[in-house]
Amino acid sequence: MNPRREEHEITVGFAGNAKKIKVKVDDRDLRPWDLETKFQTVGTDQARADGVAKVTGRARYAYDINLPGLLHGLIVRAPIAKGTLKALDLEAAKAMPGVKAVLATKQPGARIRFAGDDVAAIAAETLDAARDAAEKVRMEFTAEPHVTDVLEAPGAPKLDQDGEVTAPWPERGAERIETAIQAARHVRSATYRCEVQTHSSLETHGLTARWYGDRLTVWASTQATFGTRAGLAGTLRIPAENITVHTEFMGGGFGSKFQPGIEGVLACRLAKAADAPVKLMLSRHEEHTCAGNRPGAIIQIRAGVNDDGKITAFDYRCWGEPGFTGQGGGTRAPSDYFRDTARRDTQDNVATDMDAGRAMRAPGWPQGFFATELMLDELAAAIGMDPLEFRLKNDRNEVRLAEWRQGAEAFRWAERRNKTPGQPRAGGDPRWLHGCGLSSAAWGGMGGPGARVTCRIHADARVEVRNGAQDLGTGLKTVLQMLAAEELGIPVAMVTPFVGDTRDPVGPASGGSVTTPTMAPAVRHAAALARRELAARVAAKLGVDAAKVACAGGQVTVEGGQTLSFVDACKLLGSDTVEVVGERFPNHQGYANSVAGCQFAEVRVDRHTGLVQVLDMLAVQDCGTVVARKQAESQTLGAMIQGVSYALHEQRIVDHLTGRMVNGDFLYYKLTGPLDMPAMRAILFPVANGHTNVGAAGIGEPVAVAPAAAIANAVFNAIGVPVRHLPLTPDKILKALARARRV
Amino acid sequence: MRPFELVVPRSLAEASSMAGKGVVYKAAGIDLLDRLKERVEAPEKIVNLLGFRAELARIERSGSTVRIGALATLTQVAEAEVLRGGGFGALLESAGEAATPQVRNRATVGGNLLQQNRCWYFRQAAFGCAHNGRGPGCLAQEGQNRYHAILGQDDCMRVHPSNVAPALQALGASVIVQGGKGERTLPLAELYPKAPDARGAEHTLQPDEILTAIVVPVPGADVRSAYRESREKLSFDWATTAAAVRLAVADGKVRECAIVLGAVAAIPWVAAEAAQSLIGKEPSRANFEAAAKLAFAGARPLAQNAYKVPVGQATLADALEAAARR
Repeated sequence: MNPRREEHEITVGFAGNAKKIKVKVDDRDLRPWDLETKFQTVGTDQARADGVAKVTGRARYAYDINLPGLLHGLIVRAPIAKGTLKALDLEAAKAMPGVKAVLATKQPGARIRFAGDDVAAIAAETLDAARDAAEKVRMEFTAEPHVTDVLEAPGAPKLDQDGEVTAPWPERGAERIETAIQAARHVRSATYRCEVQTHSSLETHGLTARWYGDRLTVWASTQATFGTRAGLAGTLRIPAENITVHTEFMGGGFGSKFQPGIEGVLACRLAKAADAPVKLMLSRHEEHTCAGNRPGAIIQIRAGVNDDGKITAFDYRCWGEPGFTGQGGGTRAPSDYFRDTARRDTQDNVATDMDAGRAMRAPGWPQGFFATELMLDELAAAIGMDPLEFRLKNDRNEVRLAEWRQGAEAFRWAERRNKTPGQPRAGGDPRWLHGCGLSSAAWGGMGGPGARVTCRIHADARVEVRNGAQDLGTGLKTVLQMLAAEELGIPVAMVTPFVGDTRDPVGPASGGSVTTPTMAPAVRHAAALARRELAARVAAKLGVDAAKVACAGGQVTVEGGQTLSFVDACKLLGSDTVEVVGERFPNHQGYANSVAGCQFAEVRVDRHTGLVQVLDMLAVQDCGTVVARKQAESQTLGAMIQGVSYALHEQRIVDHLTGRMVNGDFLYYKLTGPLDMPAMRAILFPVANGHTNVGAAGIGEPVAVAPAAAIANAVFNAIGVPVRHLPLTPDKILKALARARRV
Repeated sequence: MRPFELVVPRSLAEASSMAGKGVVYKAAGIDLLDRLKERVEAPEKIVNLLGFRAELARIERSGSTVRIGALATLTQVAEAEVLRGGGFGALLESAGEAATPQVRNRATVGGNLLQQNRCWYFRQAAFGCAHNGRGPGCLAQEGQNRYHAILGQDDCMRVHPSNVAPALQALGASVIVQGGKGERTLPLAELYPKAPDARGAEHTLQPDEILTAIVVPVPGADVRSAYRESREKLSFDWATTAAAVRLAVADGKVRECAIVLGAVAAIPWVAAEAAQSLIGKEPSRANFEAAAKLAFAGARPLAQNAYKVPVGQATLADALEAAARR
């Protein structure tokens, strides 16, 4: 059955570039908010709904769940990186004091795919008792030669002493790109590398499981409560309706927590076997080594450009490093520069005997943008053009073209850019080289249909909004609260949001930056239904025609009669709570299906020690309708911080003899800290895209795409030579400076 | 960690008498706790010395020395009034820049001097090496070694992790230790093995000896000292190289100089020849850089840590310059 649709004319785009379009909207849905909408609450700064609970420690995360009789689980893992499990004897472990359950996860003959692959699981009264028992598990393996260094792996390209790929370009699709390369006035070719980054979620993976007969409740650190429920139902072969997943709070996922994971499944199995609740959370080393990562990449680019700065050819190939699966290491170059450019994109994966890569905040994009944006700056330098001018010449995204201009002015790009790369500032400390760089950002993140939100209005005028999806930490609770308050015309404080309980209506997995754009239209719809229902109830109580009563702007008005405040209207409800369920209708064609952004960075480089310090960063980012401004800005700054860390510090370091990560901690797996952080500004660029009744777009990922690229370009501007291998640690900077002196 | 007995001794003599196999002394426990959690150490008994804080955490001047109780925190050292002035600069800087404010508020100067090295092979239960006693050789030699030694290394590539040791050593400090046979005083340099090797301990204390105080001579009026370290990041990072220097300049010429390097060798590394080379020279950047070159002349970098040579040279030149400018 096709839904009935109503046509609305709305104003979309952005200030200075507004357009009227007609959208066909499901007639149960609301007229989309647009550029002309005047908001009361939406777009304002509101304190995070659960901020006090978080900073006072009252928020209970999966890690904090302690139940009477709780057992502690752990996973016994293979020390070899590749081979076969030959023998497994769990008897001695079972006999250890305090041990309540021991399970084999692999049978003799099973393959070991990386150092840390699971072999058995133990639940005991204390974690130490479980560790004691783990030491008694007798495992024998038939080890095979492993490869954990990507450059040594089959299928990896050979690199010369300067790190450049030596292999010829592929044959496939060569004709058009070769012609374009031949025809280009200037051609550059270079190889870029990114090391493996781990998600480094502060809360490690895992959950606490408790059985009530054949019913199961888990408290999970997950970014997909419903995905976790489905995953457990499928693996444990019990009905999904028997499972409740709680994630009222969670301590970071960044793409690594969509499934219950082996750790979650084992917690449930151990709890069943021991007939007691079990908590199984990974250790920090396991978190780094067994819970996914952002794959490393070797990216080779050759590109052609004309004297006027037009990019005419762009040939991109990538060897991703996704671990033992050999899949999912693809990277993504920006596309807005190349809409009318001869282009080829070749993606290969190089398998290593390491943990598998997983989605991580804009999977594959930061790597591809780093390589491409640095190549663009190298091209711009080759033809003597300013990098900003070069972007303006080639970028075909009208939102970003406006953002480039706004950002360049706010950042004072022209003034701050180092006009003599490699040289210190006139009159400044000759030791420090300053430079500025920029990068584009992009993503989709428009959300989709399927989510539902319950809205209740009680007689005390408290409004409850509920959805079973999780707040990944981005501020979803605040988003729900603010949108309900906006639609009802009441103060934010009167709305209480509840998330992270699968007994409430369905919501999305928090991946692809879809949570807010998916949930926002549903909560607005729910609040609108609640508003109408409240009016109908008031009409019944007052004995007037329902058509004559309206609830809007925090008041209930009877046509030709009295006006009740929202509070007084609610009093009439008595015990008859209003309860409605709002829906998320499919997106309709609005203004844009993607978001655009750009970032600017200033660095200084100590030419003596090779230290790079990021001094200042600016992000200009479109995320459609800005709902919760503070939280959106916070997301933006958070992604920039993570990007600084990726650009300068983070790398997985592996002992290739054993295949074990040596820096699986936070001492030598270096995360950026307060003293390393630049001054940061986030400018949210308002765009009305009209694709839903709210028009929100995701912001978690687009901002994460650009920082490493902007910082690498700033380093290039500072020292005069590109450093094409992340992270930009002092050893690499000094090597580049030494090479520059030789040239 | 495995269960252990936590003992609170009533006196230092009693603490000393408790020494034996499976007994570990603990100050703040910052280093020890990590080792217990990793299970590379599983003592039966931990003797908690923190109870002596009242006596052993004072920082006092008496005559021509300052006595720093071994249980004084790094924050106490960094903020001590009696250590104000350019002469103690290296000590204040090394204590004030270590780790994080939280660690500095808890970590003791004694613990900082006696902490174990942070080699990622040495400290993980999964790896066995000659130094941790679970393997035959040094895994860093052919393995991952970007943070390892470049000077004086032989069969173990560990580096000394202490921030304050190079500074105290450059200032000519001694340490007081109490053992079953009473108290003795030794130069700080002798707290560490002269020729560190894989099999030997990281310090020279006898099992029943407890470090109780550090005695630092008050530097002469024309003496200046400074400490600088290089890192990969500024918040909470281990030094990749560190340099503590003591310098006296008279009539525009260096009259006296001491250089002790950190994070480049298994012990605080005395660069005597480099220090000597500056005597009688002008305290100029060029001379400092020449001395710094000399200090690293014997460096033998591993596959991944050659960067430590230029970085260490720059860090040392910076320390010398900072001292000269005080």
